[in-house]
Amino acid sequence: MFQNKVTIFITLIILLLSQSLFAVDTTENSNLTITDSTTADSVIIQPVAGVENLENTADNDIPAFRSERLNALIFMLLFSVVILLYTRWARSGKELFLRKINGLDEVEEAVGRATEMGKPVLFVPGLQEIDEMETIAGISILGRVAHITARYGTPLHVPVRYPMVLAAGQEVVQQAYIEEGKADSYDVDMVRYVAGEQFAYTATINGYMMREKPATNLYMGAFFAESLLLAETGNAAGSIQIAGTAQPAQLPFFIAACDYTLMGEELYAASAYLSREPLLLGGLKGQDWIKLLLIILIITGIILASFNSAEWYLNLFESV
Amino acid sequence: MVVSFFFRAEGSFLGRIEPEILSWVTIVGGFTLLLGVVSIVRVNYTAVKRKADGWGYKLATLISVFVIAIPAMLPTGWSDQFGRGDGSIYKWLFNYLDAPMMATMFAMLAFYIASAAFRAFRARNAEATLLLITAIIVMLWRVPMGEEFLLSIHPDIPGWINTYIMGGANLAVQRGIIIGAALGAAAMALRIMLGIERTYMGK
Amino acid sequence: MGEVLAYIGLVIVGVFLLYKTFKTDDRRYIYLAVGIFVIFPFFIPLDIPVIVSPETQQLYDAVEALPDSSTVLLTFDYYASALPETEPMSRAALHHLFRKDCKVVTLTTIPLGGPSISEDVTREMAEIYGKEYGIDFVNLGYKANYVAVLKGMGSVIDIIYPTDNSGTPLSEIPMMKDIKNYSDIDFIYVVSDNGIVDYWMSIVNAQYQIEVGCGVTAVMAPKYYAYIGSGQMTGLLGGMKGAAEYERLIGKKDEATKGMGAQSLVHLFIIFSVLAGNIIFFFERRKRFNQAGGAR
Repeated sequence: MFQNKVTIFITLIILLLSQSLFAVDTTENSNLTITDSTTADSVIIQPVAGVENLENTADNDIPAFRSERLNALIFMLLFSVVILLYTRWARSGKELFLRKINGLDEVEEAVGRATEMGKPVLFVPGLQEIDEMETIAGISILGRVAHITARYGTPLHVPVRYPMVLAAGQEVVQQAYIEEGKADSYDVDMVRYVAGEQFAYTATINGYMMREKPATNLYMGAFFAESLLLAETGNAAGSIQIAGTAQPAQLPFFIAACDYTLMGEELYAASAYLSREPLLLGGLKGQDWIKLLLIILIITGIILASFNSAEWYLNLFESV
Repeated sequence: MVVSFFFRAEGSFLGRIEPEILSWVTIVGGFTLLLGVVSIVRVNYTAVKRKADGWGYKLATLISVFVIAIPAMLPTGWSDQFGRGDGSIYKWLFNYLDAPMMATMFAMLAFYIASAAFRAFRARNAEATLLLITAIIVMLWRVPMGEEFLLSIHPDIPGWINTYIMGGANLAVQRGIIIGAALGAAAMALRIMLGIERTYMGK
Repeated sequence: MGEVLAYIGLVIVGVFLLYKTFKTDDRRYIYLAVGIFVIFPFFIPLDIPVIVSPETQQLYDAVEALPDSSTVLLTFDYYASALPETEPMSRAALHHLFRKDCKVVTLTTIPLGGPSISEDVTREMAEIYGKEYGIDFVNLGYKANYVAVLKGMGSVIDIIYPTDNSGTPLSEIPMMKDIKNYSDIDFIYVVSDNGIVDYWMSIVNAQYQIEVGCGVTAVMAPKYYAYIGSGQMTGLLGGMKGAAEYERLIGKKDEATKGMGAQSLVHLFIIFSVLAGNIIFFFERRKRFNQAGGAR
């Protein structure tokens, strides 16, 4: 199965590169809806091809492939290959070291506390749409939390801000309850749409915290100005709070008001950390190697810049 | 979408279909809003019907949903009060109810920041003391009265804060977190595209 | 003299409420104090000079350097909740742009209130400068899924926005006849209270090479120093102070400048309360240490 995925991936890359071979001359396609009515892409073409305007561009055979983005393509391929190789390597059963992430270790204990107290667990999957990685990471953690609440029979409350997050959240929670053999305990309204407006959403959650006094509050996803409003209210309600976000501006607020905070990439590592799935853990290892490569590139840049000879080096990273 | 990033709209099929895909994404995005309306109506209607705790609030929510949405959707040809233009019911509700309520919620941040700062900025150890001193310097710098005070000590202080604290330490930390988070997000996106990561689907 | 006495009274009230907070450990006293410090300067105003930061100056200079009649895309990416911080930025930007006879295209990525705010503010400012809708400015309104909107506008604006905010087809709007995609826009002025700024930078600035200047809420500003430092972002307004600085540069003291008194007082109060809290914390720790018999 894994080989199939890699094959598909490589095929995609070949397809991508072959696109430049099948490039169509722009003059032959002047009747296309997108190009005929506009000066589409002239902004991109001008600096690269040095062409003054679209009329002139039509006379030239412009390659379909954006060679000026080759560096981005190389990095993307390198990144993908490293992640995939480590994923494959992890499948062979090699032991992978994963540093301790306190916030994630405490999730089970925090839910256990709610069970003992007979109070609900509140899970907030952030304020962005499902197409944001932070939200997806939040939903992944919700799946793990739902497993624990299903096992212990703890009430779970998940208010969401976007309809698509609602659908994904309901799916994940239902699946967790089915897997734990507690399908009867699943209630479709555990995950519910609250409001699309940021502060209407926040007000609803704050009201819930003050009325129901949940024992555990988990904030996992993208948060903005409401982060402190939520965390301070939870603090005042006496809840144990664990937060995770990749929004640097909100981290200080969560750190000040929550018991544990996952910072940046720790949030994305959560699904791998909690599930301990070798495939996911391998990806983390690959990610670390890429980070090391970036550190080396940055240090090289610093050294070259210090000797005033970094121009060629900087050009390697220029992309439009 | 990823592949089309590397191609011009004029020279390749992939480049050309990108705008089409994007317009489809906006259309589907609009339809998903219906899901939210259905959920909010179902949850609150059930609570009102059962006379659950706080059902009065849920009734208020239900009424609000319809009162603000229906007049905004009706054609302006029927009445000046429909639609979203000047003098419409929607505009009145937005200007005199929704906007002040939202602004009030945002303004509450000032109160919460006061209490959180009060708790967080305790000089418990060397690191916390450094945090406390930096916070006070930046807070002074961010307001005109404080900036005047700093200028009275030395005319270069605001410039130093901008260069060394905001443009130095702050910038380094922000970049570190942003790069780490971006790599994490890219790796997760790759795992999702290849079907390795399916935890967000409950698998 | 009366004003001085009033402010002395304010300080005494602040100290008293802080004392009550320490005594009772009830955070509501501190909330009351913050409320009083915010409201007070609106009744007895404080005239505080505003010093312009380099980031604000950079944004002002970039707009000033645009040739007259340039086309500028101004975004209203904020909810009504952030109006006090962001609306003064939009107003100041419009003062500057209309004064330079720029063609202004506005849009929003915020569904609730975004289109109304952009419509109201732009029309009000246009009236001051005698600008005409469809000739000097256009409001595109809102479309769902901002990533698709931002990317799509790079190809063809009217695929994403077939009509303007009031439903008029873009093909019938004279000003839009020459504005087909980002290549026809000279500068993008983003005013935002949320993470959309990242997409304006990573999609529009990075991929289409258009200069982007931003006005964001104060809490967001530190993050965007990263874009300023790398030279990607052309100027940054941080919160109400950033707006006040811009108001000073364009010579139109407005709401943001008026808000500086309240902002200064509250900041100073919080600094004072944090310092007082630490002094008490220090003495309490020392007392506990002495009671425990000193170092062992």
